[in-house]
Amino acid sequence: MVPMSVDTRGQLVRASGPGRARLALAQTAGRLAAFASRVSGRGSGASIRGMVMMRLDPGALGKLLGGRRVLAVSGTNGKTTTTHFLAAAIRAGLGPGAGRVVSNADGANLHHGIASALGEQPRADVAVLEVDERVVADVLRLGRPEVLVLLNFSRDQLDRHHEIKALARSWRDALAQMGADGPVVVANAEEPLVVWAARPAREVIWVDTQSTWSQDAALCPECGSLLTRTDPEQAGDSVIPGHWECTGCDLAEPPAQVRVSGDRIIDRQGRELPTDLQVPGKFNIGNAACALAAAEVFGVDSVTALSGMRTVTAPAGRFSVTTIAGTPARLMLSKNPAGWAESLPLATTDPLVLAIDAVAADGKDLSWLWDVEFEQLRGRTVVCTGPRAADLAVRLSYAGVAHEVIHDLSAAFRSVAGKVDGPVDVVSTYTPFQRLLDLGGVPRTTKPTALPDVGAEGGAR
Amino acid sequence: MSVRIVLVYQSLLGIYGDRGNGTVLAERLTRRGIDAEVLVVEPGTELPEDAQVYLLGGGEDGAQTTAVRELTKDGALHRAAERGAVVFGVCAGYQILGNTFTVGDRQQEMPGLGLLDVDTRRGPERAVGEILTTWRGRSGEEQWITGFENHGGFTTPGPGCIPLADVVVGVGNGDGTEGAVQGSVFGTYPHGPVLARNPALADHLLEIALGTPLDPLPMPEVDRLRAERRKALGH
Ligand SMILES: [Zn+2]
Repeated sequence: MVPMSVDTRGQLVRASGPGRARLALAQTAGRLAAFASRVSGRGSGASIRGMVMMRLDPGALGKLLGGRRVLAVSGTNGKTTTTHFLAAAIRAGLGPGAGRVVSNADGANLHHGIASALGEQPRADVAVLEVDERVVADVLRLGRPEVLVLLNFSRDQLDRHHEIKALARSWRDALAQMGADGPVVVANAEEPLVVWAARPAREVIWVDTQSTWSQDAALCPECGSLLTRTDPEQAGDSVIPGHWECTGCDLAEPPAQVRVSGDRIIDRQGRELPTDLQVPGKFNIGNAACALAAAEVFGVDSVTALSGMRTVTAPAGRFSVTTIAGTPARLMLSKNPAGWAESLPLATTDPLVLAIDAVAADGKDLSWLWDVEFEQLRGRTVVCTGPRAADLAVRLSYAGVAHEVIHDLSAAFRSVAGKVDGPVDVVSTYTPFQRLLDLGGVPRTTKPTALPDVGAEGGAR
Repeated sequence: MSVRIVLVYQSLLGIYGDRGNGTVLAERLTRRGIDAEVLVVEPGTELPEDAQVYLLGGGEDGAQTTAVRELTKDGALHRAAERGAVVFGVCAGYQILGNTFTVGDRQQEMPGLGLLDVDTRRGPERAVGEILTTWRGRSGEEQWITGFENHGGFTTPGPGCIPLADVVVGVGNGDGTEGAVQGSVFGTYPHGPVLARNPALADHLLEIALGTPLDPLPMPEVDRLRAERRKALGH
């Protein structure tokens, strides 16, 4: 069933002549490096494969993107899940041609990871890509995506990215530069920075995701004036949507074409569709709404798109249920305060396990712990684990939440064995999450490789 | 009567978990049987005149300039400092309490609130990481201040104030000292937030605000965290 016409713009990856030979050589070397990485137990090797490839052929990413229809997803939170939703939606739309889709499904979203995923499937002519916020401008330039999904912007690892506005500006500049050649942008209308970044795009489909996190934008990115906000209001059966606008210029929340309404999505035709997703959380309905809008731009009908998204269960290990040290567990990954605000309400068991670290991949600064409302856990017991469990213990102590500290991950899970009917809920920062996937035998996501700092100008002081 | 703690412009000056300092101060009073409340005041709303503690946290360039403009217009923070209420600024909040600071790539000089005799200029490189200092005037275990700093500005204390502490690991003001104190006005770089990791400093602020000594409040979790952080820095 293909309810659309899928054209193949250009041809499959076909760099010609010496360029092609160089790419081929680079790919072989990359594959060998990835194999070496896997056998030595250092992860899937995806990033290493890409790194070796790009060292031997710096133009590899551009060549690999060339000739494919590209759909890209970026934002601070939710990009892995949204990419999985979008890939599943496109596959559903392609029906028997589903094998034409390549995606960096393991979450390796920097240059190397993207090049690696593409290099593995040279014949797949549709690429659904999760793209790190810092790589968006390059992927726009090199890959000329048809659709770019911009989810949200929030504080994440401020020890490395000092000012989120600098990232938003890089998106905005790249979109402005591309003009009529640029992608259709699917953007979250509730985030002032996203709206500001997306405005120069040739066409934007605004999505009202009903997100509730508003701690990150107080000043207008356009003119610096204060923003005003009204929260959504319940009026009988329906909800009056919230709204934000600038007090100094015309930047304001744009009217949305696609909207979340409870656990349903209202598409561009005004059809109200049940989501029935297997991935939990209100925020994932917002992510699905963005994926649905993007799939529609590609040519996949909303109903078909949703049928695909319903097959997504544990994107890159998130929400996977497994057994750790003999204890069944459900694993949730959260990387910043906005992410914790979303996932903590989903962790409903008593006891529950929270795993914290603060090495580079987690963000070295744990002050965000104080922006998360741990008070909501009062009355239950938290097992604090991971290298920085002591920092969480202080936060919980001030929040009046009962807790114990067991630094060792396996020991933490042994301590809760048999205390919960079904799997114990776990929320973790990035690094312990990878270890938990290992302990639970779930395929690992890929470690992000280092990129130079961005946003060094001015910035958070 | 309940002790009022004001989070000044949380949406502008609160990017590093700075609300945590309010949580910590209020809890430390409540657990001693003293009523306390935290008020979050956003720009456009007048600051209360009768609070005992005013907290200013971290923020970006644009937020700093807006905060100075709004606080100058409001005037309540200056009157509070004059009557001896505690004003505690962290990171960007510390910088705007001073005479001047700079913003943007061209280091445009901006007037601060003038409540601390310090001036801040762009440093040679950004200071990011764990910081450990010794608090002047304190002795024993509680002289250590531990936190996390992340700032591009370096600060020069003038004759009207004294540094809060001396740097052992990290950058602080950039000249070996850290923070500044002028009467009941305090500024410091470590967030983290700093009062969660440093209960003696929290109680010091509360004792000034209340004008009375407080009973000890043992919290073993905090002691463990302090020991762990010090050890991580080799002290
Ligand atoms: Zn504006």
